[in-house]
Amino acid sequence: MSTGPSQPPLRFTGSKSLINRLVLSTLTGRPIRISQVRSTSISSTGFAPHEVSFLRLLDSITNGSSIDLDYTGTTLVYRPGLITGSAPGLGTAGGVLRHELEAGCTRGVSYFLLPLCLLAPFSKAPVNVIFTGAGCITSATPTGDISVDAVRTAILPLFAQFGVERNIELRILKRSCPGPGGKGGAGEVQLIFGHQVRLPKTLHLMNPGRVKKIRGVAYATGVAAANNARMIESARGVLNELCKDTFIASDVSPAPLLPSQDRSNPGAKRKLGIGFGILLVAETSTGCLYSADVGSPPEGGEPPESVGRQCAFQLLETVAAGGCVSKIAAPTMLMLMAMGDGDVGRLQMGRNVVGSEEIIGLGRDLREFGCSAWGLRDAGGGSEDIVVSIVGRGVGNVGRKIA
Amino acid sequence: AKSFHGHRKPYRTTELVRMFYNESLSPAEVLKRWKGDTDEVQEEEGGDEDDDFFKKAPGEDKAAELEDRAIPVYNYDELEQKWTDEDNIEAIRRRFASSNLLGEKEN
Repeated sequence: MSTGPSQPPLRFTGSKSLINRLVLSTLTGRPIRISQVRSTSISSTGFAPHEVSFLRLLDSITNGSSIDLDYTGTTLVYRPGLITGSAPGLGTAGGVLRHELEAGCTRGVSYFLLPLCLLAPFSKAPVNVIFTGAGCITSATPTGDISVDAVRTAILPLFAQFGVERNIELRILKRSCPGPGGKGGAGEVQLIFGHQVRLPKTLHLMNPGRVKKIRGVAYATGVAAANNARMIESARGVLNELCKDTFIASDVSPAPLLPSQDRSNPGAKRKLGIGFGILLVAETSTGCLYSADVGSPPEGGEPPESVGRQCAFQLLETVAAGGCVSKIAAPTMLMLMAMGDGDVGRLQMGRNVVGSEEIIGLGRDLREFGCSAWGLRDAGGGSEDIVVSIVGRGVGNVGRKIA
Repeated sequence: AKSFHGHRKPYRTTELVRMFYNESLSPAEVLKRWKGDTDEVQEEEGGDEDDDFFKKAPGEDKAAELEDRAIPVYNYDELEQKWTDEDNIEAIRRRFASSNLLGEKEN
C-alpha cells in the first residue's frame, strides 16, 4: 500500500508499542521513522533481537518495503510495501514461509503471531507461515506473552465478528516452554490465514453477557503428565463454584530436541524448553472471550498447584475488569475496528481496560496515522463500562478491490 | 487551584475524554490524573532537586517496564487474597451465567 515518496514519515520515539506502530504503518501505508530506541540503555542499546526478527518477518510478507537502520541501531526508517502474504516466488517454498527465530529470543511466538494475524486479512494472497528455530517459545513467557493456545482459542475467534472466519488455522506442531534463563524454546507453530477481505465489517459489541463456560488447556513439555492433572485440579478448585461447565484439556509432549553443538559428539542432541503451563478461556453467552495464561517460570520452583491457582485468579481478575474484550484482545479489536469501512463501530470496554497506558497510547497512535479520534461515553444501564466509538478509516485491502 | 483538583470526582469518563488526546501528558500521567491521585506526588518531586542529580540514568531500572507486555504483571499474593474473599466472589457471581440472579429466595 505504498503511496509514493511524497508523504513525509511520521516520527515516533522509543521502543514502546513499536510493533503496533509497524503494523499500523503497514496497514495505512504511511512511512514511519522511529528514533531513540533504548538510546539511554547501556547494556542493550537499540533494537532487540526479537524486534529485528519481526522486521525480517514484515520484510518477507510484504513486497517493496524498505527498512533502514542507522549505524547506532537506535533509529529506523520504515517505508511499507504491499502486503503479499505467502505469495509464491517471494521467499516461500511450496506456499509456506518459514520464519526462523534465533536462539536468544526471550519473547513467545505470540509476539509475532498477533501482529501477523492483524496484517493477514489485508494481504493479497493467503498467509501461511511456519515459525521454527531455536527461539520459538509456544507457552506463556515471563516477558508477558500469551501462549499459542490463547492466540488460537481467545484471539482468532474474534476475527469472525469482523467477517473474517474461513480457512484460519493455527497448528501447534511442537510445543515448547522457555529454556534456561527464559531464552529459546525450539517449538514449531504454523499459522494459516486464508480469508482475505476488502474491509472488515463494522462491529457493534455492546453486551458482554455472562460467562457460561470455561475451557482451557494445560500443557507439559518434557515433564510428567501429573503436572497437568495438578494444575487442572487446583484451577478447577477455584472456578468450579462459579462455573460448573469447566473443561480443561491436558496436552503432554516430549521436550523438543536440538543439536547440542558439542564438537566431540556431533550427533548429540539436547532438550530445550522444559516446563508446564495452563491457559483458561471464559466464554460468555454473547460470545465474548476472556483469557488467562500462566506458565511455569524457567528457573523453576513453582509447584503446578500454584500455577493453576494463579491462572484461575488471573481469569477472575480479567472477567471482573468487565467489558466485551479483555485487555489482551483489546488492541487487536480496536485496530481492526479502525481499519473498517467508514461507519461508526462501537465496543463496550471495562473502565480500567480503556484507562490503561497501552490503550491510550494506541488511541493516540491511531490518530497520528490519520484515523479519527475515538468517542468515549458511559455505557449506562447500571454498568461501569465505557463505550468506545470508532469511525473506520476505510482504507482496506489494496490488493483486493473486489472481494 | 490545587485543592480544587483534589475535590474532583475520579474516574469520570468526560474527564478521560478531555485528556485522552492531550499530547502534553503522557498516558501514565493521564491515568494518574484520571484516578485522582495527582497533586501530592508532583509537589514532592518539585522539592528535591539535589537528589535528582545523583539518580541513576533512566533506562536501566526502567528497561523492563519499557517492553510491551500482553499479560500485565500481577501480584499473585494480592490476587489470591482478593479472590478468596467471600464478598468479592459474591460480587463476581453476577458475571457468571450459572448463578441464580433471583437467588435469595431459594436459600
